[in-house]
This record gives sequence, C-alpha cells and structure tokens, in this order.
Amino acid sequence: MVRIETRRGRLIIDDLFGKRYEWTVEPRYWRNPIIAFLAWLVMPLVVYGVYTSAFGVVPVALLSTLVFANVLSMMTLSLGFQSIGTGRLNFGPHFFLALGGYTAALLNVNYGLNPAITLIAAFAIGAIVGLGLSPITIISRGVYFVLFTLILPLVLYQVAYWRSDIFGAETGIPGVDALFLTGDLILDLFLFLYTSLAIATIIMLIYDKVLRSKYGLLMGAVNEDEELARMYGVNAPFIKVVIFTFTSGAMAVAGWFLAHYQGSFAGPAWLTPEMLALILLTSTLAGKGAIYGQVIAAYIIVILREVLRSTSGELGLAALYIIMLVLLFVLPEGFWGLYRKRRYREYYPTIKVRKREVL
Amino acid sequence: MTLLEVVELTKRFGGIIAVNNVSFKIEKGEIVGLIGPNGSGKTTLVNLISGYYKPDGRRIIFEERDITNLPPEKRAKLGISRTFQNPRVVESMTALLNVAYAILGTRGEKMSLAEAGAEAMYYLEIFDLLKKRDTLAKDLAIYELRLLELARALATEPKLLMIDEAMAGLNPAEADNVVRVIERIREEFDLTIIWIEHVLRVLMRSVERVLVMDEGRLIADGPPEEVTNKPEVIEAYIGAEEEV
Repeated sequence: MVRIETRRGRLIIDDLFGKRYEWTVEPRYWRNPIIAFLAWLVMPLVVYGVYTSAFGVVPVALLSTLVFANVLSMMTLSLGFQSIGTGRLNFGPHFFLALGGYTAALLNVNYGLNPAITLIAAFAIGAIVGLGLSPITIISRGVYFVLFTLILPLVLYQVAYWRSDIFGAETGIPGVDALFLTGDLILDLFLFLYTSLAIATIIMLIYDKVLRSKYGLLMGAVNEDEELARMYGVNAPFIKVVIFTFTSGAMAVAGWFLAHYQGSFAGPAWLTPEMLALILLTSTLAGKGAIYGQVIAAYIIVILREVLRSTSGELGLAALYIIMLVLLFVLPEGFWGLYRKRRYREYYPTIKVRKREVL
Repeated sequence: MTLLEVVELTKRFGGIIAVNNVSFKIEKGEIVGLIGPNGSGKTTLVNLISGYYKPDGRRIIFEERDITNLPPEKRAKLGISRTFQNPRVVESMTALLNVAYAILGTRGEKMSLAEAGAEAMYYLEIFDLLKKRDTLAKDLAIYELRLLELARALATEPKLLMIDEAMAGLNPAEADNVVRVIERIREEFDLTIIWIEHVLRVLMRSVERVLVMDEGRLIADGPPEEVTNKPEVIEAYIGAEEEV
C-alpha cells in the first residue's frame, strides 16, 4: 500500500510500484539558482501579461524600468566583485559606465562602427583605463581611495562640458545606432530587455564561477586581510590589478548598452551623485559578497524607485532614500542575508569534504 | 649550509630604532630561540625577515639570495613562513579554508581548490584540528588558534619557520603540547626554526642556540646555558645593579 509522509523536511512516497521516492521540501535545499533564474526570465512576460490584461495598456514604462534594473545589475555585480577582489569600495563606478557609453557613441556616430565592434571597443577602453588606474588599489586605501575614485566622474563630467563639441554636454551624442529597430515598440523593448538580462547573466555567471574557484578563495583572503594574505604567498597586488581591470571593462559594457539602447549617450545624465548613490546603496543592500543578491537588490530598488516616483514625485524619491537608509541598519547583511542567514559570506568557495561511510 | 644571513639590519620608527645594526647567521636545520625583554625588537626582526616591514639599512640573505627588497608573497614562496604573536587568521573563514588559501598562495599554481582542501586536511590532522575543519576561525579557542596558525605556516612547506610566542595565553598543559608539536614537526619536516618565546624555561629546553636582543641590538648569541649566564643578558632582564 502506498504510504505518503513528511519527515525531516522531506516528502516520502513509499511503496509506489514497489519503490520509495524522497524529495526535499525545505526551500533552502532546492536548486534555487535555477528556479530564481527561470523566474527572472519569465518575470517580464508575466508582468507584461498581467498589466496588459488588467489595465488594457502596454506597460512601456514598466518594461523600461526592468531594462534599467538589468543595467544597474551589470554595474552592481561588477562593483561587488571588484570590492571583494580589491578590498576597496570604488566610488566612481559610473565613470566607467560613461567611458563605455562615450566610446560606443563616438565610434558609432563618427566612424560608423557597428555595435559588435563598439562592444569590444567599450570593454577594451574601460579595461585599459582601469588597468591604468589600477595602481590606486595598491598604493591607496581608506579615504584616499574613496576621494580618488569619487573625483574621476567629476573630471569626466567637466570634460563633457569643456569639449561639448565632442561629447555634446548634457545633450550628449545623438544618432547612435539602436541595437534593435524592428518598428514594433513592444518587440524592441523586449529585445532590449532580454539582451540586457543576457549581459547581466553572463557577467553574473563569470563572477560566480570565479568566486567558486580557488581564485575566489584567494580574493576572499585579500578582502579580509591583505597583509596577512601576502605573508602566505598570495600575490595581492596582481589579483587587485586583474580584478580592477576586468570589472572596469564590464562596467563600460553597461555604458555601451545604454548608448545603443537610447540611441544617444549623454554622460552628465549618468555622472550624477544620484546614480552613484543608487549603485552604492544597491550594492550594499545586496549583501556583502552576494553576487546573486546584486540582481535581487537592483530589481527591488529600481521597482520601488519607479513606484514611489510615479506616485509621489520628488517626495517619493526622498522617501526611497530614507527607506534605503533604514534598510542599511535593519538589514546589515543585505537582502541576500535574509535568504542565507546561516552562511551569508557567499563569496568563499566551498570545499566539499566527503565523510567516511560507516560500514 | 647557511640558510639565513642578516647583515647589519636596521629599522627605525620615527626617532626610535627598533632594530639596530643586527647581524647573525642561521644554519639549515637549526632551531634558534630569539629572546629579549618586551620592546627589544624581536617581533620587528621577524617582520623584517618575513617582509612585513622594509628595513632602513643593509640586507637579508636567504639561501645565498638577497631578499631585502622582495615583497612578502615572494619570500613566502621561497620558503619563509611565520606565525603571529596575536593569532592572526581570517576569522570569517573555516579552519580548512584558512590553511587552504595559504597552500594555494604559496604553491597553488597547478593545484585545484579540492586538492588544496585535501592537503589542508592533512596539515589540520597533524595538529589534531581535523574535527574543527568546518569551524569558523572566530569560534576557535586560543589554543586551537595557535595550532591553526602553525598548521597554516607549515602548509606552505617552509624552509624557515618563524614562531612568534606560540605559548602566550596558554595554560601549562596546552603549552607543553604546543612544544611537543613544534619539536615533532621540526624533525618530520626538516625545518629551520626561529622561535620567539617569553616562557624561557620551555624554550631553553628545546633550542640549540639563543639570540638575545635588547633595545634593538643583538647582545648575545650562543648555546642556552652559556647565554643565560652572560652579565649583559642578566642585566637586560633584571636590570643593572645600582649602588645606593
């Protein structure tokens, strides 16, 4: 006779065609990354379907918001990864975003290079500038590193006005080829949405793979105590240079996407203190070293921002920042800490030790 | 064969000379005690040899190679390892990961994470810490932290191991056990050891040679029984006699 019971967080079906089946019921043992990724993939379609059937209009603004959440994810994923590998918090990530945006726009508009080429160029320029600036991760720390990285976007901001003939100041560089132009607004929006999602996913998977490898362990050692790590042979300066260079290139890719998404690129729109605050708050509220948490935090914050802005205007934005400040205190380990309370330092790889079987 | 040669080494912190013109040689396989009153420059000397500090004068030779300007990670790869006076581990890592990262750091170019983990377990086993492999370092007792530091240092396969006060904060039974472990690893791993210790009773029993420092200077160098009878050593520890 078939017997069904739940025991120790498991659903057990016994004696079903002479076999016994067990499934883990407790959510933390599920293959959660796969479930989360599928939910991430399906969510835009669900949002579109529900909104259209409920209100009878196409949620253009909402889909644009989701695109922005993906762009923010690209930035915060790179910033979080960079923070682990360098042990320093970069206050100028939007500098690299603008660098990528300008590179893509200038090369496309002035030289007619297609988006595939400008993608490579944007990553390369971001990485080269990152490599040039990377010694600051070795020679400076604390307030000096913060000030250095904080000043970089301001310099680019001023340059955008000083050479407005090249950078177009607040008007930006118009006429950049869009990645998709099918003539169907909704189709284009979905194509942009899934392209940005794909880029964010690729970045996330690369960082996740690295963090789960031996290099992730070495990065964690550098992050926790750089001097100690060096005493035990970890080449911390090399790790910091490589990480800073690569993540700078990845941040520039976010700028490349924006240029080819909006059909123009205006640095001053992105080189703002508000953009910096949004990136830093998202990255911090994601949870320390929480790569998956970056995407979750980006989505929560961007959607909350749009809801508050559309319902309460400037007051809503003020409320958003107050909410985020409160969350910093209430959730010191971020949104990811809610999910993985027991082991929130996700950035250390796990070494599985097989226990000896009792014969 | 000379493993380490320190030549007229000097380190200043502002107006204070922490290590003043210190010279000595250490032969391969020796176990050398480094003693002296508080603030005599012992730990600074270890910091200079391990690359934590850069000297202000003269040089350090390791295996006939000048390493004075080498960064600490390269010195670690050459075979110089150390422990700290106050246990310094990555508190948020497990005991296993603390040892594994040191293995990967010093000789992990062609090693996978799993291989480093397996080796780390071997070193934890030597120090009877295998059962604590999944315990976060911050949850370990001081005795276990001392052993973990030794395990991590040994895992780098050092030629020269510098132990900075391995017995501080331990009860007599724990201290005796640490001594036994140090003597055992020295024999099994063919180590050269520089051992800073305040518990002279134990140290004198275990080492073949003692270096004595006072106010940054090396004031004595020789076998333990000879060094302890030197007037300048007695004076450094007890103070000079004054006529009243």
